[in-house]
Amino acid sequence: MNREDILTKVTNAFSSVLEHTNFELTNETTAEDVDGWESITHMMIITEIEKTFNIKFKLMDLMNMDSVGDLLNTIESELLIN
Amino acid sequence: MRFIKNIQNSIENNSNYNALCINNTHFTYKDFEIEVKKIRYAIVNTIEASEKLIGLVTNDDIQTYASIIALWLEGKAYVPVNPDTPLDRNYHIFELTKTKHVIDSTKESIYKDYKVINSSALQDLYPDLNPKDFSGDNLAYILFTSGTTGVPKGVPITFNNVEALVDAIDAESEFNLNNKDRCLQMFELTFDFSVVTYLFPLLAGSCMYTIPKGTMKYFYIFKLIKEKKLTVLTMVPSIINYLRPYFPEINEPSVRYCSFGGGALHSDIAKEWSDCLPNCKIFNYYGPTEFTVYSGFYPYQKETHTKAYNGIIAIGTPQKNTLYLIVNENNEEVPIGETGELCLGGPQITPGYWENEERNKQSFFIRNEHGKKIRYYKTGDLCIKDKDHDFLYVGRADFQVKIRGYRVELSEIEFHAKTKSEKKINMVALDVYNELGNAELGLAIESDAFDTNDIFEYMKTKMPSYMIPMHVRFIKEFPHSINGKIDRKELKKHFDIN
Repeated sequence: MNREDILTKVTNAFSSVLEHTNFELTNETTAEDVDGWESITHMMIITEIEKTFNIKFKLMDLMNMDSVGDLLNTIESELLIN
Repeated sequence: MRFIKNIQNSIENNSNYNALCINNTHFTYKDFEIEVKKIRYAIVNTIEASEKLIGLVTNDDIQTYASIIALWLEGKAYVPVNPDTPLDRNYHIFELTKTKHVIDSTKESIYKDYKVINSSALQDLYPDLNPKDFSGDNLAYILFTSGTTGVPKGVPITFNNVEALVDAIDAESEFNLNNKDRCLQMFELTFDFSVVTYLFPLLAGSCMYTIPKGTMKYFYIFKLIKEKKLTVLTMVPSIINYLRPYFPEINEPSVRYCSFGGGALHSDIAKEWSDCLPNCKIFNYYGPTEFTVYSGFYPYQKETHTKAYNGIIAIGTPQKNTLYLIVNENNEEVPIGETGELCLGGPQITPGYWENEERNKQSFFIRNEHGKKIRYYKTGDLCIKDKDHDFLYVGRADFQVKIRGYRVELSEIEFHAKTKSEKKINMVALDVYNELGNAELGLAIESDAFDTNDIFEYMKTKMPSYMIPMHVRFIKEFPHSINGKIDRKELKKHFDIN
């Protein structure tokens, strides 16, 4: 799966949790930039992404995840391990 | 005021130690002292002596913390407002307290109608930190919590109240902070729990670690515990609910105290969390804003102290000088083992809701005990006193819920939702629980589906984000109980959010 495919699936996960598509995700996007992306929904998004890609994030990865770019990197490396 | 003198001593004696760590930048007590002196100089030179209630915009920076201490040295109260809360609500708060002056560290303050002290652009220093002589009846702060009629409810706390809190915690031999401690300060300063998370570290010369805005709180907290080796945690239980899926990855021997408050702590998760912190004492604190943060605690220990009721850890016993009383609807004490409303008496009790006589009549009463008149606050929490004289938490008596530790009156949400709705229809706000066990807000609307965008946009201008419902369900006809009331339990079944 290339980074673009991952981004598409991640975008779908965001819109299904946040119930809107009023955003464009790039490497630099953070919670500040997306309406409704905060503590509770973040957890729901993480769960949704774990289901979509059939992966399980580690706490160490999640604690250093500050942007969508970090998120994509982590998904890529998790997929490599699998 | 003894505790203010002690803050001064602590600041002066710990000059080389760190006071604050904000977004990875450390500030020493010396740095803190300079900020306090600058702000004090500005207060003394721009605010009339008669002005006692001063607005404070709660940014995450050293100036905001220093402002609290500078105001206290002058015997003045801070009225905190969160910069992320709708301006409308914050203005409303300042109107209620007749505040004229606002301390704001923001470069360009939006509080144009007020006399603003820009605390991040000051030069001159007040010569010292000696506290002024003033009455303990002066207010130290006023916090506003959710109110039932759409108007936030003000809870004023006096310097005597805070002094009594400090005195009670000092009397507790199990809990002693020192100038080597690194303490978590995760609370917004408009939330009363923050008082213990800045005040106790400052009194002990410890360093507090704040949570920058825009970060995912629970993950950032874990990052701080791990990377900064925090020793003292004070948090709401919902934080560990979020971290729970990752408990097997957590083992943090640096933590020596972990205090919980602001919500029910469940025994199963307390046990698992305790396994993550092998050297830690856990305290389950209880206390409402009206009683100056804490009124007592239960010392949880996974092997020896696990008392719980319906899976919720006990709240234990009252602290020094505090009285607990469990009453029926006529404010008469109920026997041991029976459920009733918990009432609190003692020196930490608020003088009463801010300009709200009606509410004060409902929430406070006087009881004669051994020839003395004791004033009690009715908490709205249902409790049981057991045969060991421990207090067990049962649940709420009314429609108040806790969302991420914040108190929310469901009727306030309903009030604002209905105000904007063109159709006069029934709307009910509900607390529904997600798979992590945290409460989220739902809004049930008795109608066919329609576009609720306007209603939500309006609510966002009236209430902080934690009060905006996350789930909406349209139900053609609300279920009713036998006595004709809307059946909230039945309504909640429409919210399958997991």
